[in-house]
Amino acid sequence: MLETLSLFLGIWLLFLLLAIYYLSQAPEGRVGRFRESVSEHFSAENRARALLQEMLTDEQYQQLMKYGYLEVASPSSADRIYRIPGSGGLVKVYERGSAVMELCLQPAEPLPDGDVVLMHKLMIEANEPEYLQKANHFAPGIISLRCPHL
Amino acid sequence: MGMLRIMSRRGDDRITWDPKKADANDPEAQAAVREAERIFQEARMRGATAFRVSPGPTERIDKFDRTAEQIVIVPRVVGG
Repeated sequence: MLETLSLFLGIWLLFLLLAIYYLSQAPEGRVGRFRESVSEHFSAENRARALLQEMLTDEQYQQLMKYGYLEVASPSSADRIYRIPGSGGLVKVYERGSAVMELCLQPAEPLPDGDVVLMHKLMIEANEPEYLQKANHFAPGIISLRCPHL
Repeated sequence: MGMLRIMSRRGDDRITWDPKKADANDPEAQAAVREAERIFQEARMRGATAFRVSPGPTERIDKFDRTAEQIVIVPRVVGG
């Protein structure tokens, strides 16, 4: 068991060293583009977080930061709550406190996580029937992986 | 001030306009409104959804509203 673990660790370290060597040998342009891409990603996430903070109440934003999800009440049913994950995944639907289904709906182009949260919130609040119609429905607990692109 | 926010992979892009100045025939303000309206329509043609988020409760809109304080455009969505 210990030998297998050591072997895996060794292979992993070898790959890590190869990756470091590859990056150090790569032309400046390639490394520059990588850095730029990382920087763009963080900039997009920061903008999305700022938009989210602006659009949510303090309580909603705190809930998202503390628990990792945002709960949105159904405009049509007092018993129904939509739980939107903060970092991608299926939206869980609860009725009278019990999970009744999970929904997968995603933007056709990739968006920062914060924008995806806001997308779900706006769609639920503004046109819940259309939101339910567009989303794919799953039984609760069957799928736990992130939707593609989320 | 009015603001159009378009969600994209870069975060949201913003366009602002001053409806009062546009109503007073200020050429710059009118150009900003026209530009916001053009972007709104282009996004809608690509299947995006627009929401007026203020003033008042969130509302889905199909036509550009220059009196809106804030409009958020979400790209086309698909069931996953």
